[in-house]
Amino acid sequence: MSLSIHHHAERSPIYELHGNAALTLLGERLFVAGSQSDSEQLQCCALIDLSNLPRVGFRGTDSATYLQREGYQLPDAPNRAVVQASGESLLRLSQTEYFLLGSLHDGGARIASEEASWHYDEGQANYLLPRQDSHAWFALTGAYLPKLFAKVCGVDLRAEAFSVDAVVQTSVARVNAIVVNAGIADLPIFHLLCDRASAHYLWGALLDAMEEFDGKPAGIGSLLDSATSAAG
Amino acid sequence: MNRLPAPMGLLIDRNKPLTFSFDGTTCQGFAGDTIASALAADSRWLLSRSFKYHRPRGPLTMAGQDANTLVQLPDEPNVLADEHQLQAGLNVTPQNVNGTLEKDRDAHLGKFSKFMPVGFYYRAFYKPKGMWKRWEPLIRKKAGLGVLNLTFEPTYHDKAYLFCDLAVIGSGPAGLSAALYAANAGAKVLLIEQNPLLGGSLTYARFSLNANAAMGLREELVGAVRDHANIHILDSAICNAWFADNYLPVIQGNRMYKVRAKQCIVASGSFDQPVIFRNNDLPGVMLTSAAQRLMRLYAVKPGQRAVVLTGNDDGYLAALDLHEQGVEVAAVVDMRERVDTAGLAAAVQAKGIPCHAGHTVYEAIARKNARHIASVDVRRITGQGKVADSSTRIDCDLLCMSAGYMPVYQLLCQAGGSLRYADEHAAFSIQNLPKILRIAGSVNGRHDLQRVLADGQRAAAEALADLGLESTRVEGADKDDSKVNFPWPIFAHPQGKEFVDFDEDLQIKDIVNATRHGYRDVQLVKRFSTVGMGPSQGRHSALPTARLVADATGRSVSDTGVTTARPPFSAEKLAHVAGRAFDPYRQTAMHRRHVELGAKLMPAGVWQRPAFYGKAEDREACMQAEAHHVREKVGLIDVSTLGGLDVRGPDAAELLERMYTFGFKKLPVGRTRYALMTAEDGVVIDDGVACRLGEQHFYVSATTSGVDRVYRSMLKWNAQWRLNVDIANVSAAFAAVNLAGPLSRQVLEKVCTDVDLSSEGFPYLGVREGSVAGVPVRLMRVGFVGELGYEIHVPARFGEHLWDALMDAGKAQDIRPFGVETQRLLRLEKGHVIISQDTDGMSHPTELDMGWAIGRKKPFFVGKRTIEILESQPLKRKLVGFTLPKGSAKPLEGHLVLKGPDISGNVTSCEYSETVGAIIGMAYAGADQATPGMQIPIRVEGGEIVQATVVKLPFYDPESQRQEL
Repeated sequence: MSLSIHHHAERSPIYELHGNAALTLLGERLFVAGSQSDSEQLQCCALIDLSNLPRVGFRGTDSATYLQREGYQLPDAPNRAVVQASGESLLRLSQTEYFLLGSLHDGGARIASEEASWHYDEGQANYLLPRQDSHAWFALTGAYLPKLFAKVCGVDLRAEAFSVDAVVQTSVARVNAIVVNAGIADLPIFHLLCDRASAHYLWGALLDAMEEFDGKPAGIGSLLDSATSAAG
Repeated sequence: MNRLPAPMGLLIDRNKPLTFSFDGTTCQGFAGDTIASALAADSRWLLSRSFKYHRPRGPLTMAGQDANTLVQLPDEPNVLADEHQLQAGLNVTPQNVNGTLEKDRDAHLGKFSKFMPVGFYYRAFYKPKGMWKRWEPLIRKKAGLGVLNLTFEPTYHDKAYLFCDLAVIGSGPAGLSAALYAANAGAKVLLIEQNPLLGGSLTYARFSLNANAAMGLREELVGAVRDHANIHILDSAICNAWFADNYLPVIQGNRMYKVRAKQCIVASGSFDQPVIFRNNDLPGVMLTSAAQRLMRLYAVKPGQRAVVLTGNDDGYLAALDLHEQGVEVAAVVDMRERVDTAGLAAAVQAKGIPCHAGHTVYEAIARKNARHIASVDVRRITGQGKVADSSTRIDCDLLCMSAGYMPVYQLLCQAGGSLRYADEHAAFSIQNLPKILRIAGSVNGRHDLQRVLADGQRAAAEALADLGLESTRVEGADKDDSKVNFPWPIFAHPQGKEFVDFDEDLQIKDIVNATRHGYRDVQLVKRFSTVGMGPSQGRHSALPTARLVADATGRSVSDTGVTTARPPFSAEKLAHVAGRAFDPYRQTAMHRRHVELGAKLMPAGVWQRPAFYGKAEDREACMQAEAHHVREKVGLIDVSTLGGLDVRGPDAAELLERMYTFGFKKLPVGRTRYALMTAEDGVVIDDGVACRLGEQHFYVSATTSGVDRVYRSMLKWNAQWRLNVDIANVSAAFAAVNLAGPLSRQVLEKVCTDVDLSSEGFPYLGVREGSVAGVPVRLMRVGFVGELGYEIHVPARFGEHLWDALMDAGKAQDIRPFGVETQRLLRLEKGHVIISQDTDGMSHPTELDMGWAIGRKKPFFVGKRTIEILESQPLKRKLVGFTLPKGSAKPLEGHLVLKGPDISGNVTSCEYSETVGAIIGMAYAGADQATPGMQIPIRVEGGEIVQATVVKLPFYDPESQRQEL
């Protein structure tokens, strides 16, 4: 029996745009599976919807201590990211604000658990931010990323100005967004986190911008393969 | 075909012939040709008719710098034929002709030029009063330039950023030299070239007696640039402006690049300048550089017998070029008394070309058909602008003219550079540029090739130093000692027609007369005469105009200056400015369901929301039916667009206490309270509901359009107050619905089992956390529409699931969705205001009868002091409810409320209410018109006055029993 989004309470804000694409389960959540040709597409220019992958934010003067206690390695400066040994990315957005992106390896299970187990401790300045619900999450891949982003974003995202693990908080096609350089091995990858309610618009705007680079939507299969081989 | 053999024709591919049509005639050209070069190769020199006098015009610059080559394409008027690349099958027609290009019926207008001085129509056609309206269409038709295709399908244009260490504008010798030098030192260089071929003047000019030297140097430099990994070349791209911090809009094809350069070098070169004499606009008269471009770029022989009129040594080199390409050079006419470069005159004379030093062309004489030059009248120069009576007539079909050079200063003036005129060189130089912008080459007054190359390196070295890249300081090359500009290349003729501005058909006397009318400032001369306002934007008219105005007003050219050069540098399409429009919209998690249910969507800010469910033409019926359903059964509305703010921390209550008018410190956990926000001026700016979820946790709603302002306001104030609180805008993170109607509890009970939903367990204005259909929710009992209802907020990922679960659970209760317009009717029946619809930029709580929402005992809230002052003043207006009988003319929002002859207010909301059985509304009215029972006159559509009755709000369920069930 094929998987159906309607049997799952959690839904990507743009699931309808994936049409009849085959779906796959990663952990408990549904994603577009992708096809054999995706690995080539990823090298060229691809757009992947990761909105169902768990993510969460923490903010407050005690957030750093909290996250360290939870076993996370923290970026030493704002607008930097650190990939954790278990695959999650921890973004530091300001002196006291952090954004945790779930790992493809465990389907985001660790982050989902992080969010579910958090309780407001009135003695601690550490406030959970519902990033999975406030932000959509797209991964963009391929050699054309700087040229692609130059069409929709005013920040210099060329390799010499935007290194791996760098983070920018900017505007993409007039939508507030966080862009992370999450390149692995030979595959350039940018993660884009934007207002969830604007996801439908931005997906279309990105596909339009990608057209001249033969960019297309892809599934998570090849991305997961790349991530796995990069992790060794 | 009028073509020269290779190596002439750098741009054309002789293996790719193209057929096109011009003025109904089939023509041939090659790939790489422009329309004008292909026509010239076909010996067709007549391209257009001039703007005012319909004089015959041919190529002048061959560089897209003048209006002589404007032609019409099927989808585009005002195309520059000497710039537009030829395509097979192109259908080109002339424009601004009455009849045919060859025989233009308006060609006689020139004979009446005496009666059509500058600005004549301003003065002639305004009297008697009202006559301008009759004349204007005729004048506009005569002044028309091309025809717009109104059925044209828009093409795709977009924009992209480009980042670099150094932008070099212009790929002439200076630009190439600068780019290479900087790139070798490690800088990432963007080289911007307007033409398809790199090299600038090296592509057409000769520079020395050695005919091949420039070409060889070009190949060497261009090869090095093309092979350099650090140089990104944008050719066929024009930098159309300079904005602060080296922000450069560069147009290439259908794309506008927004270049951000750390450093910039402008090596834009200089414009060849015309000589001003009678009939200097005849076809066959062209700038010397245009003839050279025709030969070297397009392999077109520009004429059979030429005269070269020059103000500098370059004319001699051009004469040699012409001679070598088989053009008989009848004479070199040099306005100077002697040549600067030793041996140059001798080299020319050795070819049998006579030279006339200290002479000028006083008049170009046309062939019998008046459409091409036949000969020139050459005379000795006897003083500034004066010539001897005796003349020599020389037959020719080509006159090449060059009075000198004008730096391409436009971008530099936009950057704040100033022009200084040096009398000793009769030339402008540019000063006071910002530190991040440098100039090199002929724009910087260097014309000798070696000096130009050195100047490029000097500019690059300076830019490298500022980039923090290592460089050896390069000494700047001195400016040339030789004069390249003849100081007064202007020769008035008693019969006129010496054109200063070819675009606008302006003669010497037009400029001089403008000064006699009192327009002494060159800016005013421009506006009165329109000099420099045509497509060439003063490229050739600015310098002679400055000289004429200076002379006529007894000042120096430095004092006079030139007119302001504003962006864009060259004509650009609105499509380029617009680019690919980004119009963000937001959709709620339930959007798909609304579409499936046939919602009529409406914009609410950037959100797309259902207005009602049904066809647009059934609006009234749909709204009334939906409203009736909510009143009688149960309805469901998506309210996800409401703002949501999580305010957490030890000072959360204190923050709300200060931000909102009500008190919140004593609000118990599990309760909500209306939250009204005012600005410092006491004006109501937003409202919502504050829900206390914990001692240190409030969830505050805000209006759809106001939440961003509320959030910013909270952050701004707390930056001063430093309260220990975290404020998070979670608007998009929560999807929300309002389940409303007398049967709503029955529906909710089916899917919510972990919250006591009884009226005692969960009373009106309560808030609970629990789950609905297995997903976590925040439940609020609020009564915006005046019925028993629940606002249910869920994490956005579950939004659609929640909608589905409630619609499914409500089947037995005949649940149906309702839209925003229906909600507005329902809340109007309850007399609830919508901030920014029923309030404006002056509305304070007392006007709205909202004194009940103010915590009087609080020491402070934003706006408190102003509200106290306003309350101590007599009330001037008040928001009142009104009714009109069913069938009366219905006022619209914005219609005026009158008090005698004066306006006392306006309608803010108005709808027909089936529940009330009348037209109901809210309006501002004078304070003395606000007593229930009074009549207020409202002026409705068509000027009709209706008398509405003021009533006490609300219109429905005054005891509010239904919402508190």
